[in-house]
Amino acid sequence: MAIRHYWSMAAAAVGFRLVLVLFGGDLHLASRPEVSTPLTSIRRLAEGYWLKQASMSPYSGSMYHGSPLLLSVLGPLTNKSLIFVAVDFIAAMLIRATGRKLQIARNRSLKSLDLTEAVSNSVNVSAGDIASLIYLWNPWAIVTCVGSCTSPVENLMVVIIIYGACSRLAPLAAFGYVMATHLSLYPAILIVPIILLLGYGPDTPPTKVFRLKNSNASKTDVSYDEKSSSSRDVRQFSWKPVLHFTLWLLFWSSYVLLLSSIILNKVGGLQEMFKKYFFAEVFDFFRSFFLIVFNMNIIFMVLPLAIRLKHRPCFLAFVYTGIVAMLKSYPSVGDSALYLGLLGLFANELAEMHFTFFLFFGYIGVSLLSPVMHNLWIWRGTGNANFYFATGLAYTCLQTVLVIESSILHLNSLNRGFLYWGLVGPGPSIPLPRYHY
Amino acid sequence: MASSATEEAKPKPRLIVRLGVFLASHHILFSAICCTAGVIALLFLPALAKNTYLSENALIPGSANTLFSTEDVLEANRFAKGIEAATGESRGGTEIPKFIAQQMKNLGAEVYYHEFLPDSKCFHPLKFFTSMTNNMAVKPNGTYTNFGINTIGIIRAPRGDGKEAIVLVTPYNSQRVQPNELLSLSLGFSVFSLLSRVAWLSKDIVWLSADSQFGEYTAVSAWLNQYHNPMFLSHPVTLATKMYGANRIIYKPDGTTEKAELMAFKRAGTVAAALIFKVGETRKYGDRDSVTMYAEASNGQMPNLDLLNVVHYLAVHRQGFRVNIETFSSLLTSSWLKVIAEVFHNIGTVLRKVNPDWKLDVTVPDYVEGTANLASSIYNQALGIPTGSHGAFRDYQVDAVSLEFGPAFHLRNENAKSSFLLRGGRLTEGVVISINNLLEKFHQSFFLYMLTAPSKFISVGVYMIPFALLLAPLPIVAAALAGSSKTKGKLLDECKTKGSADDLQIECGSWKWLKSARVLLVIQFWAVLVSLLPYYISQIPGAMPIQYAVIWAVLSIAILIILYAMFGSPFHAGVEWKLLKATMITTITLGMGLMSIINFATAQLGALILIPMCLFSRPLREQLEMTFLPRTILLVSSILLTLLGFPPVAFLIMNGLSKGSWTVDIVGDFWLWMEFLWEWSSATYLYVFLVHLPCWLLCIHVLLHPCHQPESKMKQE
Repeated sequence: MAIRHYWSMAAAAVGFRLVLVLFGGDLHLASRPEVSTPLTSIRRLAEGYWLKQASMSPYSGSMYHGSPLLLSVLGPLTNKSLIFVAVDFIAAMLIRATGRKLQIARNRSLKSLDLTEAVSNSVNVSAGDIASLIYLWNPWAIVTCVGSCTSPVENLMVVIIIYGACSRLAPLAAFGYVMATHLSLYPAILIVPIILLLGYGPDTPPTKVFRLKNSNASKTDVSYDEKSSSSRDVRQFSWKPVLHFTLWLLFWSSYVLLLSSIILNKVGGLQEMFKKYFFAEVFDFFRSFFLIVFNMNIIFMVLPLAIRLKHRPCFLAFVYTGIVAMLKSYPSVGDSALYLGLLGLFANELAEMHFTFFLFFGYIGVSLLSPVMHNLWIWRGTGNANFYFATGLAYTCLQTVLVIESSILHLNSLNRGFLYWGLVGPGPSIPLPRYHY
Repeated sequence: MASSATEEAKPKPRLIVRLGVFLASHHILFSAICCTAGVIALLFLPALAKNTYLSENALIPGSANTLFSTEDVLEANRFAKGIEAATGESRGGTEIPKFIAQQMKNLGAEVYYHEFLPDSKCFHPLKFFTSMTNNMAVKPNGTYTNFGINTIGIIRAPRGDGKEAIVLVTPYNSQRVQPNELLSLSLGFSVFSLLSRVAWLSKDIVWLSADSQFGEYTAVSAWLNQYHNPMFLSHPVTLATKMYGANRIIYKPDGTTEKAELMAFKRAGTVAAALIFKVGETRKYGDRDSVTMYAEASNGQMPNLDLLNVVHYLAVHRQGFRVNIETFSSLLTSSWLKVIAEVFHNIGTVLRKVNPDWKLDVTVPDYVEGTANLASSIYNQALGIPTGSHGAFRDYQVDAVSLEFGPAFHLRNENAKSSFLLRGGRLTEGVVISINNLLEKFHQSFFLYMLTAPSKFISVGVYMIPFALLLAPLPIVAAALAGSSKTKGKLLDECKTKGSADDLQIECGSWKWLKSARVLLVIQFWAVLVSLLPYYISQIPGAMPIQYAVIWAVLSIAILIILYAMFGSPFHAGVEWKLLKATMITTITLGMGLMSIINFATAQLGALILIPMCLFSRPLREQLEMTFLPRTILLVSSILLTLLGFPPVAFLIMNGLSKGSWTVDIVGDFWLWMEFLWEWSSATYLYVFLVHLPCWLLCIHVLLHPCHQPESKMKQE
C-alpha cells in the first residue's frame, strides 16, 4: 500500500528547504548550538578551508576538527548550502529503497514459511515511503540542512551503509562505512549490523521458527515435514559477502587515507590529521577520562543488543544510531533526524507503540525549551548552564524512552509473529517471553 | 476464563502508575481543587512576602561617611545658573551639551558627544530571543538635522584598572529644559564633580547626560548599543554624513583636533551597575521628599534585588526619603479587596494560634497596599515593556534602577532645594560607594522576584506555587481524556476482531491522536501567519488604526478558510473531541511552561484566563443532553470563558478595569496596543498569538464539535 501523493510531498519538502536556504538568512540557524556542534559547524569548516588556502594546517588554531576530505569537497561551497538539500534528498531516497528491500525480504521469508495468506492479509503501509517522508519533513532534519552543518553528509553515509548492506552491495556498504567512520568515528559500531545483514540478509526469522514449524508440522503431517525440511533449509550465515566487504573495506580505507595524506601533504601529512582531528575533541587533562566515560557506555551496549536483535539487523542498526545519538559527545539534532528517519522503516511493527502522544509532544517541548534556556543562560544571564543542561537531560530521557519502547515492541512483535504465523497456539505450549519494564 | 487467568497473572502495576490512574479517574475533582487552590494561593501572595535583606557582604551600605557637602550643593547651584544662562543666550539644543562638556572638562574628566537618531518603528517580534547586537544595522541614509546629542564624561578611577565602570544617567530634554530636569542635571553634575576629587574610586565613573527629546530609552539604548558594539566603520558613507551633519551643528569651523577628540567614542570597562536619577515634574505633597524606584526591564526581567536593597536602605535609613514603588492606586480604595484582606487576616490569626511561627496575619492596610503594589509589579512585568531607561541596561545584563525623586517642596524654594540636593547627592554617593566595593557582578541575591513593597519581596520559589497549582491538573486531564478515548477504541477492536490481531485497528488505537495533532499543526501554522501579518499590514501608509485592525482580522479569517480548504476542516476530519481537547491541553501545558520561563508574569496572567477556559470546554451538543442545572451552569460558564479568552475582549476588559473608561474604538485600540508590544519586542506579543489565540480557536472547535462520529461508528459495528 503505497502512500498517495508521495512525490508531491517529497517535492514540497525539498522546495521548503530551498525556500529556507534562499530566503531564511535571518534565522541564524548556523549559530545555534543544537544545530551545529564544534565538530560539524560549517563556519569552522570555512575557517579550516581558509587556513588551507593560506597553506597552513587547517587544524592550527584548533577551530576545525573535521575531516580533510570535507575541506576539499565542501570548502569551496561554504556559503551555499544547496548541496545539503541534495544530500538530504539522496538520503531520503536511499531510505525509501531500503524500506522496499526490507519489505521484499519480509514477504520472502513469510513465503518461505508457507504463509502466503499472511502476506496478502497483512495491511502493510509502505514503510520505506513513510520513513523517507519522515526524514524529509522532520523539522530537525530541515533545520540541520538549512543551518548548514556537516551532519547531513554524515547521515547520508550511515544511510549508504544500511542501504548497501540491505541490498548486499559490499562495495557500497564498505564505502559508506569507511566514510562514516572517517567523518565521525561513532558509526564504527555499525560493523555488527552490517556483518549480520551481509551474512544473513535483511530479514531472517530465527532458526527456532523453522524448527517449531517443522515440529508442528510433524505432529500433523509427516510427509509435509520431510518435504519442507528438504526444500527450504534454514538460511545459514554466508561468509562470502562478509569477506567481500572486508576486502572493499581495506581498499576504501587505504584510498581515503591516501586522499587525506595528499590533501594534507604540505602541512604535516597524516600525522597532523590523527593528532588534531581524531583526538582533539576534549581538553588535555580530562581526555582519557572523557574518552572512557563518553564512549565506553556506547561500547558496553554493542554486544548484548547484537545477541538479542541479531535476527533483525536493520532494527539493530536503528538502535545503535539511537544510542550513539544519545550518548555521543557533541550531540546535535542532526543525529536525531537520522534515527527518527530510520524509525519509520519499522512503521508496521511499531504501530502499537505506547506513549506516542507523550513522545511526540515531549520532542516538540524539548526542541522549543532548548532555545529558551539558551537565551536565559547566554543573553539574559538570569539562568546558568545547568538550565540548558537540564534540557539536555530531558531530551536524553525522551530518546531513552523511545529506544526502549520501540525495542520492547519490536521484540514483542517478533513473539507475536510466532503466534501470527500459527506456530504457537494460544494454549500453554511454549511460554513466550513478554517484555515489560 | 482464559482472559481472567491472564489478568491474574499480570503483575500488579507500580504505585506511581496506580496513583496516576487514580488521579486520572478523578480528574474533574482534582482539577477543580487545584484551580481553586491556585487562585487562593495567588490572592495569598501578599501575605507571604518577606522582608528584603542584603545578600552581598561586600556592599556594606552606609558604613562610610559620605563626603557630599554644602560646597557641592553650591557647585550644583552654580551649574544650574550656568545652564540657565546658556539656554537664555540662544535657542536650539546645542548649547546645553556644550556647556556640560565644558564643565566636565574643567573637572579633568574625559568628555565626548554621542549623536543618535530616533528609532524607527520596527516589527521584530523575535528580537528578544537573539542577542541585542544586531539592532544597529538599520540606519536610514542621508543627512538628518534632527539629532539627539548625549554628553558623556568619564572619570578614570585612581585605584582601578579600568576594567569596570559605574554609569550614572540623568535624562533631560535638550530642546526645552524644565526646572525639574535642571535640578536633576545639577544633582548629577555635583555628584560627578565630587567623584572626580575622591581617592577611593576603583571603578570608573561614567556620567551620561542623556538627551531625552526622543524619549529617555532611545537615548540610553543608542549609547549602550554603541558602547557594546564597536563600529568598525563598515558603513563609512552613512557614518560620514551623520558626523558631518552633527559637526556642523555643534562646532564652529575652527578647532578640528579638538573636534575629533570630542567626537571619538570613549569607553570605560564593563558596566557593573547603572543608576538613573531624575526629579519628577509634579510636586508630591507629603511630609518628606520621596523616591520612586522603577526596576522592571523588558520581558519581566528585574535587576538584582541587592541593588534595590542598597538604594532602599540608604534612602530610608540614611537620608530620610520616603521610598515608593509603582502601584495601582485604584486598588487601594476598592472595597472588595478590603473584604478579602479581612478574610485573610482572620485566617492568618487562626493559623498563628495553631503555630506561632506562621506569621501570615497581615493587617488589612498592609494587605491592600501589598496587593496594589504586587498587581502593578505583575502588570509591568507581564507587559514586557521596560518602565524606564534602566531597561536598556538589562538587555546587556547590567543591573540598573531608575530613581525618580518626588520633591515635597516648590522648585522655587531655594532652601528646600539645597537640603534636597544635599540628601539626594549623599544618596547617590552612597550607592556609588557600595557598588564601588563590589568585587564581582551582582549575583548573590534574587533576579526573579516581585515586589509588594519597597522592602518586601516574593521570591520565585513562592510565586511559582499558584502557577504550578493552576498548571498541575492539565497533564492529568490530558492523560484521562486520551486514556478514555483509547479504551473506547480498544473495546471497539475487541468486539470487532477476535483472536487475530488486525494492524489497522490497532494503529487507530495507538496513533489516533495523529489526526488531532494535524488539526493542531494547521492551527499553529495559522497563528504564526497571523502573528506575522502586521509586518506587511503596517507597510500600508496612512491608514487609521481601526482600518489596520480590520484588514488584519479579515486577512486572518481568509487565511484560516484557505488553510481549511487546503488541509481539510477539523469538523470533517472526524477527530474525536476528547482527543482534540487532550491535544489542546498538552499544547497549553507546553506553551505555559515555556512562557513561564521567558516571562513568568505573562504566563501567570494568561493561565488565569486560559486554563479555566480549556478545562470547561465541552461540545455544546453533548452538554445539551445533560439535565437542566449542570447544563446551564456548564453552558454559561464555557461560553463566558470562551468569550473572555478572545484576546481583544480580554484587552477590552483589562483596559476598562485599569482605566475605568469603556471606549468604543476597541478595535483600533487593540491594534495600537499590539503595535506597542511588537515595537518593544515584547514576548507577550508572541504569547498572545502563538499560545493564546490557537488555544482559543481549538476551544471553539471543541465547543462546536458535532460529536456524533463515535455513535455512528458504534451503529456501524
